[in-house]
Amino acid sequence: MAHASLERQLATARTAKVELESKLREKDVLIERLERDRRWLAEREKEEREEKEKDRAEHEEDKRKSDNELRSLRASLRSLTEQHADLGEQHTELSRSTSQIIATQKSQLSTLERQVRLLEEEASEFRHIAEERSRTIQEVQDRFDELTMSQDTYTRNGSDDENWAVVREELHRQANYLRTLESSNAKLNQELAVFRERHVSIEVLREEKRGLEKKLHGAEELRERVVRLEAEVEASRKEREAWASKAAPSDTPSKTPVSVTQSLSSLRMAHARLLEDHGATSALLRQREAELADAQRRESESHGSLEKLQSEVRVSKDIIAKKDHKVTLAEREVGFLQALVASYSAEEAGQEDGNVDEAKTQHIQDLESLLAEFKTRIRVLEREIDSLGGDPALLGKVQSASEKHLEKIEELEQTLFELRGEVGGGRHVPPGIRVLSLRDNPAQQWADLRQEVMDRLKSENEALMKRLKELEESGAGSGKAQHNADEELVPRESWEVVNKEKKELEDVVKQKEKRLLRLQQVFASKSAEFREAIASILGLKFAFYPNGQVRVTSQYDLSASFVFQPTPKAEGGGAKMQLIAQGEGGPIDLPQMMQYWVQTEQCIPGFLASVTLECYDKWKREQQEGVSKRFCEDNQN
Amino acid sequence: MAPTKQAPTRQAITLKGSTNLVTEFFKYAVNTILFQRGVYPEDDFHMVKKYGQTVLVTQDLALENYLDKILKQVNKWLLTGGVTQLVLAIISKDTRTPLERWVFDINLVEQPAGSSEVPPPKPESEIQAEIRYILKQIVSTVTFLPIMDEPTVFNILAYTSESADIPADEWVDTDPLAIEASKSQQVKLRSFSTDVHRIEAMVAYRYDG
Repeated sequence: MAHASLERQLATARTAKVELESKLREKDVLIERLERDRRWLAEREKEEREEKEKDRAEHEEDKRKSDNELRSLRASLRSLTEQHADLGEQHTELSRSTSQIIATQKSQLSTLERQVRLLEEEASEFRHIAEERSRTIQEVQDRFDELTMSQDTYTRNGSDDENWAVVREELHRQANYLRTLESSNAKLNQELAVFRERHVSIEVLREEKRGLEKKLHGAEELRERVVRLEAEVEASRKEREAWASKAAPSDTPSKTPVSVTQSLSSLRMAHARLLEDHGATSALLRQREAELADAQRRESESHGSLEKLQSEVRVSKDIIAKKDHKVTLAEREVGFLQALVASYSAEEAGQEDGNVDEAKTQHIQDLESLLAEFKTRIRVLEREIDSLGGDPALLGKVQSASEKHLEKIEELEQTLFELRGEVGGGRHVPPGIRVLSLRDNPAQQWADLRQEVMDRLKSENEALMKRLKELEESGAGSGKAQHNADEELVPRESWEVVNKEKKELEDVVKQKEKRLLRLQQVFASKSAEFREAIASILGLKFAFYPNGQVRVTSQYDLSASFVFQPTPKAEGGGAKMQLIAQGEGGPIDLPQMMQYWVQTEQCIPGFLASVTLECYDKWKREQQEGVSKRFCEDNQN
Repeated sequence: MAPTKQAPTRQAITLKGSTNLVTEFFKYAVNTILFQRGVYPEDDFHMVKKYGQTVLVTQDLALENYLDKILKQVNKWLLTGGVTQLVLAIISKDTRTPLERWVFDINLVEQPAGSSEVPPPKPESEIQAEIRYILKQIVSTVTFLPIMDEPTVFNILAYTSESADIPADEWVDTDPLAIEASKSQQVKLRSFSTDVHRIEAMVAYRYDG
């Protein structure tokens, strides 16, 4: 039982074991699966991480790029702002200048308008005045006419004649003066006030004249009264005479003439007063005129000074504007540089890379120092320009002056050339200079030669003249002079000349002879040479005769000689030779040879050659014979 | 080719060297004028290579002697600076009127005062080229100078300073052989200069226009 239980237990244990084993297997499978999952997950994770890294790198790249872009944009922004500031400044400048121009033009316009109005007013005033004047002149003329008429009538009053003449004259003068005044009035507007015054004085005059007229009326009455009184005087005289005749004459001067003289004196007084007035007014007029001229002068002066001052002001304004501009520019520059530095430093701080190398800062410092240097240089140059006047007008003046100088230089060069020509042409020898030439120069030689010839001819001529005179004298004195003529027919000088010429000619002849001789010698030697050459080559000796004949002798047989003669040219044409004679010697068969060669063949060279051959054969034979003979003789001896 | 021809270390030309150069130039200039203007017959001249061109030089012994004598004296004067001008005057044989005056002004080249440094010496090839140009110009003047159809003779005048040393037995004061003012024309020719002398040439001639 125990055993069974044990076996049961064992079986259960076995089953449990199997179960457990299966469970274990399951677990293993599970573990394996889990392991696989884990691996997969780990791969995923790794991939993810790589991806992330990549992303981060890209991001960083992007960021760097954007930073760069940002920087460049910032720089461009800065430059643009700068441009903007520039443009704004230009704009303000332009607007300033345009507004200035507009203002000046407006002011000019207003002044011009004012001037126009003023001128128009003046013109109307003047027209008005002119009309007034003409009217008054007309009136004055009328009155004057009336006055003259009345004066004509008044002249009958004898004692007043002189006064009236004076008055008329005065009136004439005044009329003239008025006319001149009118013309001057039309021209000078500034004299308006003066002329008004003048007008007033004319009014006064008119008043006076009216008064005078009235007085004249009074005078008319007075005249009538005078006539009446004269009549009365006549009557009273008659009465007085009658009384005188009746009684003693009584000295009672009439009362009427006294009244007349009284009125006359009053008139004279009035006239004097008038003249005085006139003088005063004219003096006033002069004074005013002088004042006016003075004022005008002063005005023009002040105008000039004003313009000068204005131009100065303008120049100084320009300078100030320039300076301002420069200052603003410099300020802006400084600001810009500061901003640049700030931006750089900010960048440096922001980047934290520490990569803003020192070289760059060094470079910036260098550039700044360079800038400072340039600025100082510019300042120096400006100062120089200022010291030079700084005025473009001055510059222009200097330029024109230099141009003038250049022109002058050109002129002077031209004159220098001309003067050189003077010296070169030999017309001027500079002071302190000697002109020398060699004593024995070709020109002098030529001159001397000519002089010599001339002298000789002169002396000969003189002598001949003398001789001629002598002959004439002797001709007159006939036979007596015959003896002298025999003595000296030709003057000595001529004889000398002829003698000299003769000597020269003799010299020439001698020279020629010598030359001829030399030539002959040369010719002789040459011809000998020639003959020898022919003799040795052809074996023939030639002798040329003056008549053209040629004697030919064989070298090998001296007795065989022939004489040839050139045929006349008309026959053969050319120099054909003709055999005309022969020596007594020669080969035995000479006649045949002559027959054959000369007559049949007509070949003299062939004939001569065969003769030579024959002669040579003969000569050779003779030689051998002679040798053998001598040999024999020698042997015999 | 050029660098090998000119020695780069050549010294500046001396007074003596310059004087010799100028004297030689006168010799060839005078010969050229005498040939070109037909003062002597053409057969009297023979060709010589000089300054890299053909120059005609006289063979007439008398003329050669005359020129030698003058040039020797001119050489002496040049060394002492006693001569300021040389003139070759061509004169009509018959009327004895001066027809042409070939004037050579001799100036001393002045070193600009104040500049301490000596200017670089002028290469001899350049001087020779200048001389060549003058001689060529003399030849070419035949084209515009009036034709001389009468026999002529010439004389050489030297303009010297009063203080110059003058051999009295050979040289005499003379007439400057002036050309009539109303008929005178002048043409400036080229010039040449060494480092010491500067020669300016000119021809004045009589022109009955």
